[in-house]
This record gives sequence, C-alpha cells and structure tokens, in this order.
Amino acid sequence: MNIILLAWKNIWRNKVRSGVILAAIAIGLFAGTFLASFLSGWMVGTVNDDVNTHLSHVQIHNEAFIANSAIDAFFMKEAVEPKIRAGGISAPMSSRLRVTGMLASPHKALGITVRGVDAADETRLSTIHTLIPDSMGSFLAEGERMPVVISRKIAEELKVKLRSKIVLTVQDAAGEMQSIAFRVGGIYKTTNAIYDEANIFVRYSDLLPYTALPEGAVHETALRFDDLETCELIAPTVTELLPDMKVQTWGELNTMLGMSLAWTDMMAVIMIGIFLLSLSFGIINTMLMAVLERTREIGMLRAIGMSRGRVFRMIMAETVLLTLFGSCIGILLGVCIIIPSMSSGIDLTFLMGDLFEDYGFGSVIYPVLNMKMFVQIICLVIATGILSAIYPARKALALKVLDAVRH
Amino acid sequence: MNIIETKSLCKIFRDTAQEVYAVNNVDLSITAGEFTAIVGPSGSGKTTLLNMIGGLDTPTSGSIIVDGKDISTLSENETTAFRLHHIGFVFQAYNLIPVLSAKENVSFIMELQGRPKAEIDSRASELLGAVGLADRMDSRPAKLSGGQQQRVAVARALASRPRFVLADEPTANLDSKSAANLLDIMVKLNEQEGVTFIFSTHDPRIVAKARRIITLEDGGIVSDRSV
Repeated sequence: MNIILLAWKNIWRNKVRSGVILAAIAIGLFAGTFLASFLSGWMVGTVNDDVNTHLSHVQIHNEAFIANSAIDAFFMKEAVEPKIRAGGISAPMSSRLRVTGMLASPHKALGITVRGVDAADETRLSTIHTLIPDSMGSFLAEGERMPVVISRKIAEELKVKLRSKIVLTVQDAAGEMQSIAFRVGGIYKTTNAIYDEANIFVRYSDLLPYTALPEGAVHETALRFDDLETCELIAPTVTELLPDMKVQTWGELNTMLGMSLAWTDMMAVIMIGIFLLSLSFGIINTMLMAVLERTREIGMLRAIGMSRGRVFRMIMAETVLLTLFGSCIGILLGVCIIIPSMSSGIDLTFLMGDLFEDYGFGSVIYPVLNMKMFVQIICLVIATGILSAIYPARKALALKVLDAVRH
Repeated sequence: MNIIETKSLCKIFRDTAQEVYAVNNVDLSITAGEFTAIVGPSGSGKTTLLNMIGGLDTPTSGSIIVDGKDISTLSENETTAFRLHHIGFVFQAYNLIPVLSAKENVSFIMELQGRPKAEIDSRASELLGAVGLADRMDSRPAKLSGGQQQRVAVARALASRPRFVLADEPTANLDSKSAANLLDIMVKLNEQEGVTFIFSTHDPRIVAKARRIITLEDGGIVSDRSV
C-alpha cells in the first residue's frame, strides 16, 4: 500500500464531496480551455477574415497617402513591385488605385472607397472573389464591360441588383469631377459589415483614365503571406527593401484589431486566473474538511510511526490525484466538444443575429486550440492543486499526536 | 533483561490554580516477555504513563530508557521512527484505517518500515491467522465487529516486530465474549512470539490473566506484584 494508492482510496471516502470538487475541476478546466479556444478562434478568425478579404498582411503606401488619402499621393507600381520580388519575396501581391467617391443609383448615393485592381492579381491575393455566390455574378470577369463589384449591403442601400447600372463620381488628380457609369458585375458579402458598407472594386484599367494619373500609378500595394507568423518575419524585410515608402502590417493598419488579438490572450489569462483562484478555495475547503474529519486517524498514523513527511506527502498526493483526475475529465470534455467545433464552427447568429458582423466580427466562430495555452492551463491547474494542498497538509502536520489520537 | 526502565518519572499538568501530578516519581522496570497490567482508578495516571513510555507524551522530569536509549531526549522525528520500529500500539477505539482491508491495515506499518513485499504479505497473513481472522483478510473495518477490529489492531501492533506492545484499555469497547477472546489471543501471542505486552485496564478479566500487576494511585505506584 504505497502512499499514492492510500491517497487514491482516501479520495473516495466521501464520494459526493470528491465528486463535487472533481466536477468543479473538470468543468473549470474545460470552461477555461473552451473560453481560451473560443476567444482565440474568434479573434484569429476575425483577423484572418479581414486579412484575407481586404486588409492583407502588409500594405505599402506613399507617406503622403497615409496622411490624407489624396488621389495625387500615388507611386509607380514599377518602382515597388520589382524591388519586392528582387528581395526574394514571392508572396501574392496586388497594386491598386484607391480613390474615395460617391456611388449613386437612381434611389440613393453613398460615400465609398473604390479600388481599381488587376483582377488576376487580386484573386491571388484576397479571397473576396470567393465571397461572391454563383448567383451573384463574378469578380471582374473578363469580357464584361465596366463591371463593378459591390457588397450586398451597398446593393441593398442603393436598391440595385446584378447588372444594374450605377454611377461612380470621383475627383481626379486635376481636381475635375468625373462620373463613370458601371454595371454591377458581382455582389460580395464579407463577415465585416463595416467594411461592406463602403468598399467596391473595379478594374484598374477602367478607373485609371478618370483619375488623371499616369499609366502604372497606384496608391497601394498589398502582400499576403502564409500566416500571421510569416508576416511578422517578412514585414521588416519589406520595410528594408522600400525605405522611402510607408510599410504597414495588418495590426498597424487596423490597430483595434491588432490590439484585440493581443488582448484576447491577456483576457483569457485573467479569466483563467479568476477560475483558478476560485478553484483553489474549493480545493482548500475540501481538503481541509478531509483532514479535520480524519484528525484521530492522522493522529493514529503518526502514533504508529508515520513520519510528518509521509503524512504531508499523503495529503499532497490526495490533492494532486484529485486535481489530476479532474483535469483528465476536463481534457476529455474539451477534446469531445472543442475539437469537433473547430471544424464545424459555432454559429452565433441564433444568439445575436448579425450584430457581430455589424461590429466587424464574424458570426461563426471556429475555436482555435492553442496547444501551448492548453498545456499551460493544465500545468496551472495542477500547480493550483499543489499550492492549495499546502495549507490543509500543514494543518494535518500541526496536529499534536496525542490530542489527535484522543480526538 | 530490562527493555523499559523509568527513573523518577514525573508528569505535571499545570493550570492557573494548581499543579497536578499525573505521574509522580515513578521508577519502573519491565523485562522482555512480560504480560503486565497497569491498573488503578480513573485519573490515577495509567494512560499518561503509557503515553510517555510510548513516546506520545514527554515527561516533565525523569527519564524513560527503552533498550538502553533515553527516549525523552529524542527529537520528534527520532521519536516517530523509534515508535515505528520498537513499539506496537493497540488503542481503545481500534483506530484502523477505514479505507484499507484488514490485511492492508496490518501490512501498512511494515510498508512504513520498508520491509520486502513478500515478507509483508506472509507476516500479515500469518498474524491475521493467529488472531483468528484468516477468512476476513479482505474485509474493511466497517464490515468487522468491534472484537474483530481490535484483533486486527493487535495483529497490526505485532506486525512491525516491536520490542513491546502498549495497549490502552483494549477491551473497554468490547463485550465480554469478545474481550475474553482478545485476551486469549494476546496471551497466546505473548507466549508464542515472546512479545512484551503492557496494558492499562479496569477490566478484572484482563487483570486475572496478567502475570504482573502494577497499581497506580494519584500518579504513583502503590503496588507492584507478580502472580
């Protein structure tokens, strides 16, 4: 009968009490892990959606364009793209005209940002073309005359449909107002309603003649890497390659999004910390009761020759076993619930409709099981168990043998 | 040969009003193989004397020499180790570990001593057989009667091959039949294993079986006779 086996048997003296604390540990661990995965999935999903559809990982602008988005704050595509390729960066890249203007239908006019893009480059760079259902046209398909890709939200606002004619009015670099007639060639919908409210795409070649800018002029070049980590690695190289340009990563382009992602981990840590604190009180309470109701028995063990160290280890072993067992159940729960939802996603529209999308977040959350955080949570739970056991174990050691035997 | 020797042993309990001599200047020698009863009225100091001999309590003055070693000078850890290897205890309330079977209870102390598994197994079976519980080895204490539990406690006390066994009122919670049965077993083990038994009791049936009777009154020995 080693101490571990004795500790295990001791745990099951009071099945209800041990069951309750086991359930608390298991549900707590599961909830902590699920929460962390959910928040992480939510933020990573939002970042990826934004990066993939419009933000891209890195954008390059003329310094002056950052200040006022002026149409004449352009740079020449040939001055940037070849340098990036020469630097050994082969990531998808798209250079665009970016102009603000008014988009009008017979029903209404809206302020929008129009991007003049090379359809082939844009398709390689972003996933915006995949967000156009077959019934809603295509992304600037060849053969179409003056197509414009608008969002479903804009279509609803302007009360236009596929093939409807709309007029874009922009001010060119010479200060002249230019009105251009387009026909709706595609209607997209991203998970970010704020973006959808004000962004449209046209062909570079259709927009350029109305900007009074020279052939090859663009306002921004966007790059998309394999993932956020690659972006962190390569973005500094892009900056080095283009010392005269303003190179910004997705987090700098959308500081709220960048901060949110950084805060997600912090929030998860804070919430898990609160859970662990309450868990530790539960464990201390349970183990203290277990020690106090066994006062005479602990006295007997000390009387027959069980050392203080062994008594201490026995109480510690009981707590650690309880915590480990609870953690295993929690992990099992987590694996059974989190892993399937990682691929199927959790659709929150039943809860809040499109509210999330209205604020720029996706409604379907795909939890991300961050293995590092998962292991950290398990280690923290076990550490909590061990730390929480110290007080009850010391309480057991403080018992005077004779008083305890007589208890 | 003396295995226990007390010299001028005193235990004084003090409160604000007075000093109470629970054990008063006791000189006592116990030789190996004795079957000794310590008797006396309640409050005469029987239990206090046994607790001090067992290293569970410390004397106010005097010394307790066990196998030539003064245990009153040992540190707490040394006393614990000393109890583990030299003294067997039988408590009035049995004090078995409820989550362990009879055999596991008997084995436990040998495991604390770090004895080999095979020896633990055979000794536990042998002792439980000797106390008439060969068929109840796997039963937990809750499934045993009071008499059976105390027999397991006796087997546990002997399991560590102690120099002597201290039993404080071992039959106090038992009916007469169980008490007689337990006494017969203790006498048999005393004779067969040569283990020294020292017990405090009020029970005249135990006193009748004892070969030496030490009578205490007000903490002091008033009579010490062999029968």
